Amino acid sequence: MAGLVNRLIMFVVLLLVQVLVLNHVWLLNVATPLLYVYFAITFPRNTAKGEVIAWCFFLGLLIDIFSNTPGLAAGSLTLIGMAQTYLLELFVPRDSLENLEVSVVTLGWGKFSVFGGILTFFYCLVFFILEAFNFFDWQLWILRTICSTALTLVLMLAIESVRAKR
Amino acid sequence: MRNLLDFLKDYYHWLLFVFLEVVSGFLLFQYNNYQASVWFSSANSVTGKIYEWTGEAKKFFTLTQTNEQLTRRNLLLEQQVDMLGRRYTELTHDSTVLERHETAFLRQYDLIPAKVVDNTLDSKENLMTIDKGRKDGVAVDMGVACGNGVVGVVYLVSDHYSVVIPVLNATSSRISCAIRNRGSFGYLHWYGGDPSVAYVEDVPRHAKFKLGEWVVTSGFSSIFPSGVSVGKIEQAYNSRDGLSYKLKIRLSTDFTNLRDVVVISDKSIAERAALLQAARDSISSK
Repeated sequence: MAGLVNRLIMFVVLLLVQVLVLNHVWLLNVATPLLYVYFAITFPRNTAKGEVIAWCFFLGLLIDIFSNTPGLAAGSLTLIGMAQTYLLELFVPRDSLENLEVSVVTLGWGKFSVFGGILTFFYCLVFFILEAFNFFDWQLWILRTICSTALTLVLMLAIESVRAKR
Repeated sequence: MRNLLDFLKDYYHWLLFVFLEVVSGFLLFQYNNYQASVWFSSANSVTGKIYEWTGEAKKFFTLTQTNEQLTRRNLLLEQQVDMLGRRYTELTHDSTVLERHETAFLRQYDLIPAKVVDNTLDSKENLMTIDKGRKDGVAVDMGVACGNGVVGVVYLVSDHYSVVIPVLNATSSRISCAIRNRGSFGYLHWYGGDPSVAYVEDVPRHAKFKLGEWVVTSGFSSIFPSGVSVGKIEQAYNSRDGLSYKLKIRLSTDFTNLRDVVVISDKSIAERAALLQAARDSISSK
């Protein structure tokens, strides 16, 4: 129950932060942080796969509704939710708990960064492919993907470091 | 049967996954069918309200700058009107004609003041939400302008909010414009990237202009009256096929700091649309 409430709070906070603040960030005309992918990355190990996917879809859909891009974030985030449940198995330490939380405390800085980095990059890649669709300027597109991934990852690790100290 | 149930239990997440991806894909590719999509855009009332609150807060911090801009613009326009009025009186010895023109102009157009509640700049297809909708008299395809120049065209309307396609929309925005006092026409097009630079395409080869001259709306479509400023010519290129010029324009509207706009409602628009429809019908019935 506490887990559900936590998820819900995280859902609302990430949604509002994204649509009210981060969507308007546009560093050097290329990097936009897509921090809400953090929501998909941090699902605990034993969460039912269907549940992860449904959460991700609704977060994506709400973000889409706010930013006038129906289907864009919803589709990409659902994909990342699915990937998270499978990718996580490769990163959990041996004999860890069934309901392992995903954070730097349980995985360690190295593993968490790689795990988060892969998913974030994958997310940005899919998101910007769908957004640009006709590859009208592929150099700008690659630059946006890489810079946005980096910026998102930095923000995510900053949040993790604050949470780890508590 | 039992096997089937077991299978579904183990793999239902794949079915759910495929289903949700199909829904997303449907939304992504069906968005052009815009009548049905008001609920999935920022024109619905909940998102509109939230954006309005944050817009209010942000507006407060940019008021000084906006005011300054407006004052400067006002001053410039006043000088211009004054100068032109004097010229006109000198030439025609008729001092009431300007007033008559002004009232005739205002009778044709309704100006609906609105506030921008959400605005993006970072994508190739930017959209903007304003806080006036159908109940305030806004309708699809009306022009939107601000004190400094053109902003865009209304695209989606709900009861209290509307979504506007601004000039900064590389795929959907085409505004007909002309070079001030020269009368050569072209289409305004934006390619993404810098929000203060756009291009006017299809300017004929015989057009005469100088760098630094103003580009204004042409008034050909019923969306904008003629003479609303668009920007200054910064550079001229040949088009790819060599048949026309392409002008690089420094936009006069500052999209990064846009709060107060007006929706221009042309009373003759319904009449023109009806006429066009009648013409189309008569062609297709032949």
